Amino acid sequence: MRIESSESVSESVPLSQQEEWKDVTPIPQDDGKHPICPIAYTDEYREIMDYLRAVMAKEEISERALTLTGRVIQTNPGHYTAWMYRKRLVEELNADIAGELDWVSDISAMYPKNYQLWHHREALVVRLLDPKQATEEQSEAELLRHPVIRRELQFLDSALNEDSKNFHAWLYRQWLVRTYNIWEQELIFVNTMINEDVRNNSAWNQRYFVHLQGRNPTQVELDSELVSDEIVYAVENIKLAPNNESPWTYIVGLLLRHAPAKLYTELLPKIQELANDKDYSLAMTTTPFYWSALVDIYEKQARASPEQGKALIEQAQSICHSLATEHDPMHGKYWEFRNKSLSELQL
Amino acid sequence: MAEGFNTARSSSLLVDKHVEYIKSLDKRQDELEYWMTEHLRVSGIYWGLVALKLLDRDSALDKQQVIDYILSCQNTDGGFGGHHGHDSHLLYTMSAVQVLAMYGALDRVDGSRVVDYVAGLQDAETGEICGDEWGERDTRFAFIAVAILSFFDALPRLDSDRIVEYVKLSMNYDGGFGSGPGGESHAAQVYTCLACLAILGRLDVVDRERLSAWLAERQLPSGGFNGRPQKLEDVCYSWWVLSSLRILGRVHWADCSRVCDFVLSAQDPDTGGIADRPGNVPDVYHTCFGIAGLSLAGFEGFPLKDVDPVYCMPVECIERIGLQSWINNVPRSWSQEKLEDV
Repeated sequence: MRIESSESVSESVPLSQQEEWKDVTPIPQDDGKHPICPIAYTDEYREIMDYLRAVMAKEEISERALTLTGRVIQTNPGHYTAWMYRKRLVEELNADIAGELDWVSDISAMYPKNYQLWHHREALVVRLLDPKQATEEQSEAELLRHPVIRRELQFLDSALNEDSKNFHAWLYRQWLVRTYNIWEQELIFVNTMINEDVRNNSAWNQRYFVHLQGRNPTQVELDSELVSDEIVYAVENIKLAPNNESPWTYIVGLLLRHAPAKLYTELLPKIQELANDKDYSLAMTTTPFYWSALVDIYEKQARASPEQGKALIEQAQSICHSLATEHDPMHGKYWEFRNKSLSELQL
Repeated sequence: MAEGFNTARSSSLLVDKHVEYIKSLDKRQDELEYWMTEHLRVSGIYWGLVALKLLDRDSALDKQQVIDYILSCQNTDGGFGGHHGHDSHLLYTMSAVQVLAMYGALDRVDGSRVVDYVAGLQDAETGEICGDEWGERDTRFAFIAVAILSFFDALPRLDSDRIVEYVKLSMNYDGGFGSGPGGESHAAQVYTCLACLAILGRLDVVDRERLSAWLAERQLPSGGFNGRPQKLEDVCYSWWVLSSLRILGRVHWADCSRVCDFVLSAQDPDTGGIADRPGNVPDVYHTCFGIAGLSLAGFEGFPLKDVDPVYCMPVECIERIGLQSWINNVPRSWSQEKLEDV
């Protein structure tokens, strides 16, 4: 069967006057003796809700019930129970899944922050394209040409175009990439997103996601060359906006986890070089993120190499002091704490 | 914004206004908002009740009526829907249990049915917790499942090692947590993960310094917090960030007086209630988390009740039920530091 697009539903004529609904007796909301929650509706919504309760009560599986859930959800996308019923209807009616996906796209354009639609979408896509079979039989290049994957990537493009930090859209994208093993295109996509907005933290997070490819971060060894390239990449982006939290957190965090030695040997010289470059020195030396990275690097190095330890700790402490008093007083308590912990460090 | 509005906004907490606002919520049936939120009415009552309890004005709601209503939302599967006639979901089951617990009425519900419902949502293979029978997964649900079972002293019904493993996998390079492995760190997800680990006595898996620093970094010049880098501040993060910092023993890393100013500036002096940010329309969700945030921030302008940072309920309720033991289960080194620093 076809799924009607959101426009074509006859919304103007009340259901009570439609031939199709003659056999159904609507069930009005029973507020019982609980006046804490009397529900009052506008007439149209009350009517579709009364009919929804009626078809749900007899567990009707029909095309008209499907249309009805669509109207309820379109008016009130958070109506969890209507979604649950709709899922069942789509399944049992063997409804046209592509049409349902189009319908979900309309809903997500209207309500991008709704939770239910993304999960509904996942279930539909899996039914259209079995992940196990697809990944076993097709290469990434082939999958990228597959209409199902293409539609999902296009849908995500428009969702992220609308709001480049949409939490749900990014999560859905991770699901899609992981489920169908389309990692190579994802790095290209992430590069584009960071180029468009270097402050998009969701894109930086996605970058790490791509490098991990779904592996357990505590058990992964990242290729040394890849890590070095990431240092270069992060520093190039720091240049564009030194007071941008995302690349700093990304690169320091990645190195702390996967290549702590490179903090001192590779990241430090690069950011110091920037801080000494007359084009960047003002921006670098006035952002707390630069100083904060230095503290992390010096502390790590002091622990790794106790012979240099005392001098490094002293440098880190003086940075903490100036952050607390000068560069970042809002986080003064934090910097005082770092300062104190450094003084107590046993090398 | 009109100037008059600005000057009308006081630095005091508009207690009576907020009480009136919450009381009025079930009387606004001519408003679109009212019926659009039917599906989360149970959660709405939870938010309203927490706010009233913290203000010590819970007599504004009819206790018996609320309890009866909540009980009417329990389904045959043992879970609760957001309203009667609605399907069960963990989110609403949590709110229902919290409301009953705040009223000392947990004995009015058949706990074993609730426990069976919740325990049945753990995926036997991965250990993940689903939000409902359709299998949506999220670290929020891990917290909620653990929290609900703790109310019924039934934690052994879940495979908690698997839950801890799942939460650990959701930890990011910035020390924060997302909604699952790979998901971007988000202050509200951080709270759910920390609260989950706190109840399970497994806060040792957290990168305390890095996470605390990330949370403190969420405070913006306005005094309010955002939930992720480069996003706008929002009153509800006063709760999500401060509760997380409290669990970590690091509330003092935030500038609490500025948080208070921000929350107060988002009050609506005409209708009562608190909005997501100054000048916006208030709602019960932000009213709850604004007041809870003020309580955590040590607001001095009104004697707010203390709020438990794990359960988001008054500490006195949590103590009465005997659930404050999470505090004794924080890693030893943390509790020692807290004695010195706070």
